[in-house]
Amino acid sequence: MNSWQRVAGIVLLITAGVVIQQSVWVLRLFDHGQPGSGFMPFGLGVILAFLACLIIATHRGPDEKRVPFWPSRAWLRPLLAIIIMGVYVVAFDDLGAVTSVVILVTAWLLLLEKKKVWVAAFTGVATGLVVYVVFEWLLMTPFPRGLLF
Amino acid sequence: MLDFSGLLLGFEVAFNPVNLLWCFIGSVLGTAVGVLPGLGPAATIALLLPISMKMGSPVTAIILMAGIFYGAMYGGSTTSILLNLPGEAASVVTCIDGYQMARKGRAGPALGVAAIGSFVAGTFGVIGMTVMAPPLAEFALKFGPPEYFSLTVLGLLLATYLAGDSPLKGLTMAIMGLILGSVGLDPLSGAVRFDFGVPDLQSNIDFVTIAMGLFGVGEILINLEQTEAASILTTKIKNVFPTLVDLARSGWAMVRGSLIGFGVGILPGGGAVLSSLISYAIERKISKHPEEFGHGAIEGVAGPEAANNSAASSSFIPLLTLGIPGNASTAMIFAALLIHGITPGPFLLKEHAPVFWGVIASMYIGNVMLLVLNLPLVGVWAQLLRVPYAFMAPMVMVLTLVGVYSVNNSVFDIWVMLVMGIFGYLARKLKFDLGPLLLAFVLGPIMERSLRQALLMSHGSFGIFFSISRPISAVLMGVAVLFVLGNLIAGFRAKRKAAAA
Repeated sequence: MNSWQRVAGIVLLITAGVVIQQSVWVLRLFDHGQPGSGFMPFGLGVILAFLACLIIATHRGPDEKRVPFWPSRAWLRPLLAIIIMGVYVVAFDDLGAVTSVVILVTAWLLLLEKKKVWVAAFTGVATGLVVYVVFEWLLMTPFPRGLLF
Repeated sequence: MLDFSGLLLGFEVAFNPVNLLWCFIGSVLGTAVGVLPGLGPAATIALLLPISMKMGSPVTAIILMAGIFYGAMYGGSTTSILLNLPGEAASVVTCIDGYQMARKGRAGPALGVAAIGSFVAGTFGVIGMTVMAPPLAEFALKFGPPEYFSLTVLGLLLATYLAGDSPLKGLTMAIMGLILGSVGLDPLSGAVRFDFGVPDLQSNIDFVTIAMGLFGVGEILINLEQTEAASILTTKIKNVFPTLVDLARSGWAMVRGSLIGFGVGILPGGGAVLSSLISYAIERKISKHPEEFGHGAIEGVAGPEAANNSAASSSFIPLLTLGIPGNASTAMIFAALLIHGITPGPFLLKEHAPVFWGVIASMYIGNVMLLVLNLPLVGVWAQLLRVPYAFMAPMVMVLTLVGVYSVNNSVFDIWVMLVMGIFGYLARKLKFDLGPLLLAFVLGPIMERSLRQALLMSHGSFGIFFSISRPISAVLMGVAVLFVLGNLIAGFRAKRKAAAA
């Protein structure tokens, strides 16, 4: 796990660098002798850089016991879920909210949970109907229109 | 000492049929999320934030969310006792002796004592809040920008050090929260920060988006890694009403747990988890039969369950009186109040007395509702554990995705939530505590405004925070400095000891 902690430290260090760069070059550290819009972010960037260095320093060397970050393809289901959600957002405007929900739930149950097609499809349609009734009908959320709804 | 007129006003608000109904719904939902492992109260409150915005009255929304928060403390014990799997973080300790009791066929008394302990402590916590909150709010009126800055610094430090395993990682997450909180419009000058040319980032990142991403999406993604379902203990739950012997053994543990929970709950970051751990350690230490702990000691269930409920109630004190949330769930409630145009803090009692007292009164009623829901109906909740997570996860995800869109009707917000969800997932895997991030995100604007206003007052001198002319700020900063130094020295000594060994 030490190597992953070091990677996290490096990502945090880069983030700190961006924050400091923006605070100094884009924003103002001081405005008319008083703290400006970049004052606090600059301070936060410096502290974050220091903490990131500490994280890297405290996780030096190899692991005492090698533990994989994702044991036995444990990354697969979260990755599939992220892809399904990504597809949902992309389809949201064109297909409409309710249709996107039906696709999301059906795909989730089929691909992630290995449910039967009819179980996945029925649950997807039922969830879409509940979303339509609760959000569009009761809460009057202005969803984008698309196929079917 | 006790403002009876205020409390009466509160009961008038809480007994309004609509508020009563939402208090009941909150208690039921809270118990359900407490029972179900994988979805905590913070995530549930986050999921309901968009719906709460559509509620006309702020007090109704807060009553619902408070109900979820303390209801989860009740429900958490059910899963701990029956599955040896904590329904939520504060019930981790209950697993130790609760599950052992269940294995010996004493699941009923364990669940009963947990419910009674929760009720006793929850009510004790609300009474304490009724007595303590008004004078504290009065005292907080003396706070100016330097005091608020010092208080937020101390609050964040305590939350970082007390909440998680690693203060270094907690502090890092708090700084990340403060940075995220500074994206968008600068509260004082109006300058746009960190928008990188994206117009949607100019109007600050929404709290709901961050909260739902970190706690909703993040939690589901981490749960997806586990493919094995826990098996429920199949013994029939009987005798939920504990015997006199059980009550005699657990009575003082409940009292001690209530007191510990109340004290620890007020501290930022202290909260339910820490108080239950302290309570368990104390019960074990002072017990005449310490060897029974870990093998089904009823005090090991009563004490921690009382402590986490008392802490849940008392954590509302700094939120309502100082405007400083102490944990992720109260940070959500803080945000919900802001969404409804109410600023939590010392002026809440003066300017929105019905909200202040209404929430407190609803907690008395909610505790009674929860006792009824959890004592005779505990078998029903146990059945809830049979609902497969495979179906629950996509439902929660839909609620998250649709909910976050409904806040600003913005697809961009869904993308931000997804990114925050992935960030939350990876942070959890790397053992970074996300509570401090959310707290800092909420406190960031208050902190920055008070810092810059204080520096304006002092013409740029940081001495104002330590000045004798501002004794409250000086004391708060002094405590913060001592706290950090103390922890650094303790850590340094521990390392030297380890190296010597």
